Amino acid sequence: MSELLDQGPFAPRDDSLFLREMNALSRWHLDHCPEYRRVWSDWHDAHSAAELPYLHAGLFKHVTLQTQAEGIKHLRVLLSSSTSGGQPSRIALDERSSMLQERSTRSILAEFVGSSPRPLVVVDDPRALRRRGEVSARIAAAMVLRPLATEIQFLLADSDPVVPRWDVLLDVLARSQELLVYGFTSILWQAWLAAELPASVRGALAGKTIHFVHSGGWKKLEAARIDRRQFDAGLLVGLSDRSRVLDYYGLVEQVGVIFPYCEHGFHHAPRWADVIVRDPWTLAALPDQPGLLQLLNVLAHGAPYHSVLTEDFGRLAPGPCPCGRSGRRFELIGRVPRAELRGCANV
Amino acid sequence: MSEKLALFDDGIRRVAVALPFDIDRLIDEWSGLRSPMIRSRPDSFTRDEWAYLITFLDPAWLKRVFESHFGKPSPATDGKITAILRPRGRVAVWLPNNVSLLGPLTLILVSLSGNPMWLKTGSHSDDLTAAFLEFCRTALPGGPLANYLLDRVRLESFDRDDPRVREMAATSAVRIVFGTDEASAAIDALPHPAGSLSFAFSDRRSEAWIEPSSVDDQVLETLAKVFAIYGQAGCTSPRRVVVIDGTAESARQLRDRLLALWRRAIPQDPPMNVASANIMTRQWAAISGWSAALTDRHGAVLAVGDASLPELEGTAVLPIVALTLDEAIAQLPENIQTIGHAVAHPLEERWLRMLATTSIKRFVPVARMHHFGPVWDGFQFWRMLFEEVEVAS
Repeated sequence: MSELLDQGPFAPRDDSLFLREMNALSRWHLDHCPEYRRVWSDWHDAHSAAELPYLHAGLFKHVTLQTQAEGIKHLRVLLSSSTSGGQPSRIALDERSSMLQERSTRSILAEFVGSSPRPLVVVDDPRALRRRGEVSARIAAAMVLRPLATEIQFLLADSDPVVPRWDVLLDVLARSQELLVYGFTSILWQAWLAAELPASVRGALAGKTIHFVHSGGWKKLEAARIDRRQFDAGLLVGLSDRSRVLDYYGLVEQVGVIFPYCEHGFHHAPRWADVIVRDPWTLAALPDQPGLLQLLNVLAHGAPYHSVLTEDFGRLAPGPCPCGRSGRRFELIGRVPRAELRGCANV
Repeated sequence: MSEKLALFDDGIRRVAVALPFDIDRLIDEWSGLRSPMIRSRPDSFTRDEWAYLITFLDPAWLKRVFESHFGKPSPATDGKITAILRPRGRVAVWLPNNVSLLGPLTLILVSLSGNPMWLKTGSHSDDLTAAFLEFCRTALPGGPLANYLLDRVRLESFDRDDPRVREMAATSAVRIVFGTDEASAAIDALPHPAGSLSFAFSDRRSEAWIEPSSVDDQVLETLAKVFAIYGQAGCTSPRRVVVIDGTAESARQLRDRLLALWRRAIPQDPPMNVASANIMTRQWAAISGWSAALTDRHGAVLAVGDASLPELEGTAVLPIVALTLDEAIAQLPENIQTIGHAVAHPLEERWLRMLATTSIKRFVPVARMHHFGPVWDGFQFWRMLFEEVEVAS
């Protein structure tokens, strides 16, 4: 399916192998997805990753794309959270890609939180699961950790406002010395840090080993003037010294690929993925200047989300990372700034 | 009485317009603002918006507002007067959050009527009206206009649930609402004085109609400039270009010429989020069957295709279609406002007959599509800011 998955996520890579797999995947989608073919009707094989075709992430808010071919069985549609008030993205999930995506996330996570199975506590509201045939991005992000979970418990009775069910956590803590805790960054902060933990919970947490995993961005925390150091220190207080906090960047349009944040302050692309930074006005690939992030992976067979131009702003970092991981690394700067649109109120 | 009487004569009758100031002096002061405006521009305004505002303050144009309704100024004080026009009373103006230059332009026009004004701006927007009013109050040395803006103009920002919304409706002789149909209906439903007037300038859309024989680089540059100001967001912006009696090939040629000169017409880069969104719009248009291309530096998406293709969404996408005149008329949206034309003989009978039988509100050259004036959406709203007193000897 992909030779690139046969080694660890941050092992050195032969870039020509990645390009060969991406060219093949692009041709696959061109042959089997008519909408994609209309966008890239005159595309020919790329000689570099920057020449690979891409779709703008915003397109998935308007069109549910599917690549229909023998061997592809679509399962359900993944919905992004529409936190900025717009329409959610809709990504068609399929059996073949899901298998690869699960392998991908398990491999990346093992690098940061280990591979031993343990209970997973999701700091979210289980009602978010109850949409027939659709999966919200928050739940999908939590389910990234499912391969490592012996059981899954949801901590919140409600997520807006946040209402924790501490009895759930106490029950898990009573049965396990180690656990995984996943939450959207802002929700984890609201549930775990903004409100004081009950004394009984603090007591039960003492000395336990917890790997906190979070994603979703820092916008709300920046507004509250909470920085990464405070955030991590707050989560880890009183826990064993083997406990860790892992922040990762990811988006529903790149399901299965997460870009973990290393101890030296960079997000890393696994060897089966890549990152290109582009000038928003020319689309030129930028080696060291800030620009739009384009994310690529070899896992997406059921729809052409294998190469997506995002509305996130970032910058590639040159050279090897002091953390020792190979592959592309980048600094995530944030969302593209939005200028106000003027008109006559008919928009 | 501090009212001044200004006499006008249209050749049939002579009227006296009662104003709380000397109108010539007020117009001089408005046009005198152009010098400081050329020197500095508030950050909220784009260069194009500010330039348009400066043009709007041309004294000849401001005088024409009076002359087009009442005739030429009449210097003689003798002779028969058939009517006195007096300001109707407080004018309440609702401006929505994303409103364009319409706020400052309405402020200027209503000021010429001498009526006191209460303007409500949106509670979360970059407010051009407040910025312009502040600029005027700072730049004006004193005099009738400064006094008027200080004493008779009240501008506040609050949301639709604020009790002041109800107070505005209840205490105004004229209500002018820019906004959605729903917002207009909601304001109309509020208690208001009997006999008060209401003008709703709500959801409208416009098109540019161009004959292939009238296409030249100047027309196309003008089209690019007019479109680029508000893209699809302006009620007077062309939502699409119709090549009248053209072919698919002539539409494509027009698109390609526009692409070639776009950068010259619009040299500044679009905001980064607009450039990014246009990449998406280009792809979406292609999926929908349009032949779409990005302009240089991604300022707009120009799409050619059959008029039956799905309508394109996007702030800066300009569809270009070829239709016969009959087809273009048949496809006019119900809420059509302006047709910006580039045609050989806009006053010939086929155009006039069309205007007589459709709901088009304005038929003006492409360059004038955004020109706000005392007649809007089919209403002589500025004239109605006065009530008329019949006078006979």
